[in-house]
Amino acid sequence: MKTIVITGATSGIGYAVCRAFAQMRWAVLGVGRSEATCGAAERKLREEFPGADIRFFPCELSKQTEIIRLGETLTKTLRDDFGGRLDALVNNAGCVRNYYTTTEDGYETVFAVNHLAAFLLTEQLLPALVEAGGRVLVTSSQSHLGTKVRWGDVMLTRRYRPLFAYKQSKLCNLLFAQEFNRRFAQSGVRCYGIDPGLVNTGIGEKNTSGVVKLFWRFHKRRGVSADTSAKTYAHVITSDDADSLYYGQRGPQRFSRQVNGENAKRLWALSDRLCGTSF
Amino acid sequence: MFVLITGASGGLGRAFALECARRGCGLYVTDIDAQGLERAAVGIRRQYGVPVETYACDITDDSAVDGLIQNAQDKGIAIGMLFNVAGLDFEGAFQKRSFNDLASILRVNIEATLRITHKALKLRDEKRDFYIVFVSSLASLYPIPLKATYAASKRFLLDFSIALGEELKPQGVHVLALCPGGLSTREDCLQAIAAQGFWGNATTNAIETVVCRTVSKSLRGKTLYIPGLVNNLLRFGARLVPPSIIARMLHKRWLQAQQQWLSIGNQ
Repeated sequence: MKTIVITGATSGIGYAVCRAFAQMRWAVLGVGRSEATCGAAERKLREEFPGADIRFFPCELSKQTEIIRLGETLTKTLRDDFGGRLDALVNNAGCVRNYYTTTEDGYETVFAVNHLAAFLLTEQLLPALVEAGGRVLVTSSQSHLGTKVRWGDVMLTRRYRPLFAYKQSKLCNLLFAQEFNRRFAQSGVRCYGIDPGLVNTGIGEKNTSGVVKLFWRFHKRRGVSADTSAKTYAHVITSDDADSLYYGQRGPQRFSRQVNGENAKRLWALSDRLCGTSF
Repeated sequence: MFVLITGASGGLGRAFALECARRGCGLYVTDIDAQGLERAAVGIRRQYGVPVETYACDITDDSAVDGLIQNAQDKGIAIGMLFNVAGLDFEGAFQKRSFNDLASILRVNIEATLRITHKALKLRDEKRDFYIVFVSSLASLYPIPLKATYAASKRFLLDFSIALGEELKPQGVHVLALCPGGLSTREDCLQAIAAQGFWGNATTNAIETVVCRTVSKSLRGKTLYIPGLVNNLLRFGARLVPPSIIARMLHKRWLQAQQQWLSIGNQ
């Protein structure tokens, strides 16, 4: 049985990806923020797909100690029940913040959740991915275009702008994918950035207020459904010849020139330092 | 120079720790939450590579604070700046809280803050100027029904800080009182800001800007910092209106905000 781990799986795009793979009879290991949302998503999926192997794991991805604990739990589950093999990891969890906030590790929340969590969880699950020759997907976005990483102040402690924080984190997702492939493509694991398109989800309404919330409430109506977007994920994970870095609904997409080897290496080194790893 | 910060594992304390580390200061940080303190310390070292000494303790306990001071002396940590951030508040009307809760607001916000300040002054390097920051609050500027104890405790800090600053000026000690409005520190603070609606957002200050300016102003010897134009206007307005009328207006506002907040909490 093939296995897939999906973060941010209790709603939006993540939930739609869960549905797509439950339908294909993969074992779906979802990660969500709280016991309550995980329990609800698990029940709903099991009702829709009786007999499918669906499990959820609560984890607050803004906390590195919790990510490490999650990595251990998932590794053990994969080892006990699935021969230690992980066929796909979808780093999808993401957030937006109105204000500059920091995690308990002292990192800016959007950078920590959207990029560092993906970095650290992938590091934790690499052995299982190598075992299966699996694929890593990161939910990036077209909003990464036209922006640069603010190297002098990655945590954005000066003039925090919510949209910039989001865009920078999505650029980091692609830089991560690029450097991951340089390091691990020869061990049979590949990483892709996914552009889900504008999707009608609640991301802009959680923990935001005022203008951001209002903007998102109207803007999201123009978006496609999460199920449409999930097809892109399914295609990239199951296709035999996915050899580009960045995929959207209509196949491979052009990405920013900022996504280059130099920036990718630099971000990787920084992420290693901030996670205390040697990935 | 080392900076001593209380309440450093979360919120404003952690923001001050990050700001001082960014400026290249060594940190001596304390908090009652030992685990949180350690995690923040690890993150700060990884980001800025500055020395971060931690000492978790309950600052309402006199002997624990003696331990904090002794530890610094043993390790040869010379403190040049003190941030009194640790503070406490409970939501709810006077009679809805236990007396113990109310007393602990005074114990942490006032008694413990003065204790640390009194003892930390012994750690100063006499040849250099010493800087103290008290975190008061926008709430200190008015009597606030439903937050009466908290607001009055912050008023104490405001007056105390201005008086102490004058008293210690000849000895090269500079004292600043910070009176921020809402700050985006924790999840529940973000919710509380949202619950207050328009006024919540209008009185909320960008925390990263507040900490940066606080440090700069303190080093320049300023005595009071009220961040934000709206907050300064509110302060000016408060001087023109009698306290009893202000209290009546704020009572209405907090009743609404608390109902709103409770309904968010129950969702």
